[in-house]
Amino acid sequence: MSGSGRPVRSRQPTLSLAVPSQTSYLAMISELTRHMAALAGFDEAEAGRLALAVDEATTNAIKHAYAGAPDRLVQLRFDDRRDELRVEIEDTGATVDPRNMPSVDLDRYVKQRRTGGLGVHLMEKIMDSVTFRRVSGRNICCLVKRKDGAGGAP
Amino acid sequence: MGELTVETRESGDVTLVYPAGFINAHTVRLFETEIQRALEQKRFKLVVNCASLSYIASAGLGALMGVIEEIRQNGGDLRLTNLNETVLNIFEILGFHHLYLIFSTEMEAIRSFRPAADPQ
Repeated sequence: MSGSGRPVRSRQPTLSLAVPSQTSYLAMISELTRHMAALAGFDEAEAGRLALAVDEATTNAIKHAYAGAPDRLVQLRFDDRRDELRVEIEDTGATVDPRNMPSVDLDRYVKQRRTGGLGVHLMEKIMDSVTFRRVSGRNICCLVKRKDGAGGAP
Repeated sequence: MGELTVETRESGDVTLVYPAGFINAHTVRLFETEIQRALEQKRFKLVVNCASLSYIASAGLGALMGVIEEIRQNGGDLRLTNLNETVLNIFEILGFHHLYLIFSTEMEAIRSFRPAADPQ
């Protein structure tokens, strides 16, 4: 933090890691994200929400792109830029475009006894930007959170 | 780290559920199993005490969402108590605080199931 109270940091080198496509690694990924967010200058509450968003994106890669196959890899990249923290979650599984999902209607979900369909919505509520792209057989989910505190969840 | 334990107790016709740890896509099955166990025993008044729940992902929220219709159709309800700030914030982000009654203490949640005239 600078003396003015605004988080001003020089850009950090990118952290990149490959994690087996198993949900048993989600807790570790959440803890790592929390730590990276704290290093980037986010407070504890915001770091917790960022950890949740990365958990959700990784869960989507494991459950949907890889259909639960445990022997694949999910690539994560944490990029602490001056004004934002950017996290990319990448898989080489089936094409999944969450933008095709209908908007969340809790009352309808309850009636239908649905247990899924909340993850992308949660990510979008937490992050300033959530984008999905397909590049050379890879799904890349890019999560961005600005450091100025504007946008996203309170 | 990241593991979940779920204990249950009974207080009259109310089943108390105590998840401790994380509920994410890895651990949610255990949480679902304990809720289902209560429903199979026709116990439809549930209080989930989240005092030791540090984190809940959409998998856990989905587990709550998937059972509430059955519970209410059977005259019961699932109510929550002792949510920490992180968990409450996630509930609010998704609008779950409109779906479920949330109490500050376990006793308040238990009493909410009692008839108004019953001081216990």
